[in-house]
Amino acid sequence: MKKFISTLAVMLLVLAMCFAFAACGNDETTNPDDENVTGNEDGFKVGAIYINSKNDTAGYTFKHHQGITTAMENLGLDPETDLVIVDEVPEDTEAVLTACDTLVGAGCNIVFGISFGYIDAMEEAAAAYPEVIFSHATGYKSNDTNFNNYFGRIYQARYLAGIAAGLKSLELGNNNIGFVSAYGTEYAETCSGINAFTLGAQSVNPDVQVHVNLIGTWADEELEKSLAQDLIDTYDCCVIAQHCDSAQPQIVANDNGVFGCGYNSDMTADAPQAHLTAPIWHWEVYYQLAMENAMNDPANFVANVGNYYGGLAEGFVGISPLSDNCVEGTQNYVDAVSELIVSGEWDVFSGVKLTYDVADDGTVTINQNDAALVDTEGNEIVAAGGASVEDAVITGSMNYFVQGVVLHNN
Amino acid sequence: MGKTRIRIVKRDGCAKRKKVLMYLIAIIVALAIGAILLSSLDVNPFQYYGKMFTMGMVDNHIAYRTVENYIKAFVPLLLTSVALALSFKIRFWNIGGEGQFIIGAIAATTIAFTCGPSLGPGLTIVLMLLAAMLSAGIYGGVIALLKVKFKTNETLLTLMFNYIALYFLLYLGETKAPWNFFLNPESERPIFGSFADIVSFPTIMIGKFSLNLSLLFVIAICVIIYIYLKRTKQGYEISVVGDSVGTAKYAGMKVNKIVLRTIFISAALIGLAGALKVGTSGILSTSITDSVGWTGIIVAWLAKLNTIGIFVVAALICVLDTGSTIASSTYSAIDANFADILQGIILFSVLVADFFTRFKIVISKKEEQ
Repeated sequence: MKKFISTLAVMLLVLAMCFAFAACGNDETTNPDDENVTGNEDGFKVGAIYINSKNDTAGYTFKHHQGITTAMENLGLDPETDLVIVDEVPEDTEAVLTACDTLVGAGCNIVFGISFGYIDAMEEAAAAYPEVIFSHATGYKSNDTNFNNYFGRIYQARYLAGIAAGLKSLELGNNNIGFVSAYGTEYAETCSGINAFTLGAQSVNPDVQVHVNLIGTWADEELEKSLAQDLIDTYDCCVIAQHCDSAQPQIVANDNGVFGCGYNSDMTADAPQAHLTAPIWHWEVYYQLAMENAMNDPANFVANVGNYYGGLAEGFVGISPLSDNCVEGTQNYVDAVSELIVSGEWDVFSGVKLTYDVADDGTVTINQNDAALVDTEGNEIVAAGGASVEDAVITGSMNYFVQGVVLHNN
Repeated sequence: MGKTRIRIVKRDGCAKRKKVLMYLIAIIVALAIGAILLSSLDVNPFQYYGKMFTMGMVDNHIAYRTVENYIKAFVPLLLTSVALALSFKIRFWNIGGEGQFIIGAIAATTIAFTCGPSLGPGLTIVLMLLAAMLSAGIYGGVIALLKVKFKTNETLLTLMFNYIALYFLLYLGETKAPWNFFLNPESERPIFGSFADIVSFPTIMIGKFSLNLSLLFVIAICVIIYIYLKRTKQGYEISVVGDSVGTAKYAGMKVNKIVLRTIFISAALIGLAGALKVGTSGILSTSITDSVGWTGIIVAWLAKLNTIGIFVVAALICVLDTGSTIASSTYSAIDANFADILQGIILFSVLVADFFTRFKIVISKKEEQ
């Protein structure tokens, strides 16, 4: 026993010395930080609740984190000291409320929650802390003073990606395009995404069919991989698009010598021979707007910012730079359609379809033709020449596929 | 030539002073390891630990909310640990706390949604608690029955029953259907609905601080369990069966009945913990257990199945858990996973110390022939 105690004591001494050294060394490096902490005690603080880790290097949480830190840097805030994050928070009202308490207790002026299931907790927290602003991504609830929601017209970007995919299918002479999606008609978000992509592809290749395989969950790399492979093997798809977190569908496309459109980030590095372009979010656009308003006029936050639903016009959504795998001239189509959408003259889910004339120098002119928006059952959603379906439908209740979509597994 | 042999030998006993010393050393060693890790990430360990052990309540204008949240985490853990200890006392390896907790929470929620609107809050709460205890008690009792009748392995069965309960809960949470009253009808996407405006567990306001009465309720239950184990015939039977089934049988005790009864009580109390949790939050969640079914096992054993010990250990583990989340939130380099690693290091070294209070390593040199 004595021997053991003495061994332990020696170990402890060694550890204590390491501890002391580490602490000393650390004091020097963190001193400036400490001053910052106290210096910003009364300054503006940003709080965030993440579904995954703040140290993620890809995926949904990562993109939001990048958006928040970029916006803070643009506004002269230091993410090291002025940003408080509770991460790995499940969609559990109790857990989210506790996270809100932690962030408000840490002195945050605005709290962002990035996952849909935080909705009720954030509404409750907004009522409990009227002096703090709560802003909820992908939700639909809000109040008149300190609680709003934000999301974007990613369908516009998907339409553009659809054009790139459609042009590729024309070039390859193969009308089968694949789409690996987390969900189908259960979620308006995925449903509108598949529809917009299909309409974009059809605008350049009217004969195109979009074959959809559903994963049934937001992230499952194994399924994302096998379902993409299935689309290639069974339906001879020449382009694989996706609405899921990982780059697996693009990697599968790359391995099979076909092409693909990623999502969320430029996946060209993951699939250099396959990737065309990916619809991406520019979360920092909203985060900067929200933080600016929260800093300058917090009392009128909701009055000024409202429920945010930015699109191409605001620069909130877009597509990653077209890769060399794209058909020559794709950029001209994309530019022309972007310009049209940004002008506000036309939108994806309207009773007007686009066709294109290409001049000898590659310049693309758009023709607008009245044509009804029809779902796979033959129901007319929007009459020929009619205005776009309402935003509430796109974000909340769209539950049909447009003609040209073929759903396979269910 | 001498050959060194290392053997692990059981200790005959360990003085209390020595034990406390060993636990303290273990915690210091763990904190020192943590400090090295923190420093390597450019985080000042003193500040970090300061935040962790005060749960960020210094300079916090809503520190009372931290205490409230602490109690919300502490109540289910305490009750679950005490209940698990009951099972362990008769050497029934109940690792099905998660499942029993979930079943209790689902049963309580069912009562809240179906009976709540017509019966009024008072009676509904009583029914919620009873329904949770009964359903969870049966859920655990079935396994005890299988064990005494067919000698099935309760470790495997309680473990597997966890997943049945968990996936049933996931199914309820993801299935939009007319019968599914658990979901929020207003949401297009399936999310659980709240019954907080139908029925909610009572709280007492002390200034701004709202004291959840479930805390007092659970402490009362712990006192009753303590008396039950120390002062009643049934409590005595539990300790005899736990020591030796042979002795119990020889003394004429109906061992099967005692096992069934004890496991039913154990599981019922875990179900009660689930009801208290869901009754406080007013909403189900797929992460409703907060892993108390697992953490409770550690708490029960660290406390040597002693009810008072469980109270202390559960309180400390909750500080660790709540504190590390709060401390990690202000450091960009420290995410929740890293906070979990730090917690794990502390628990692990305490368990190592615990091992050495019961065993010692003997190094002996043997002359080779």
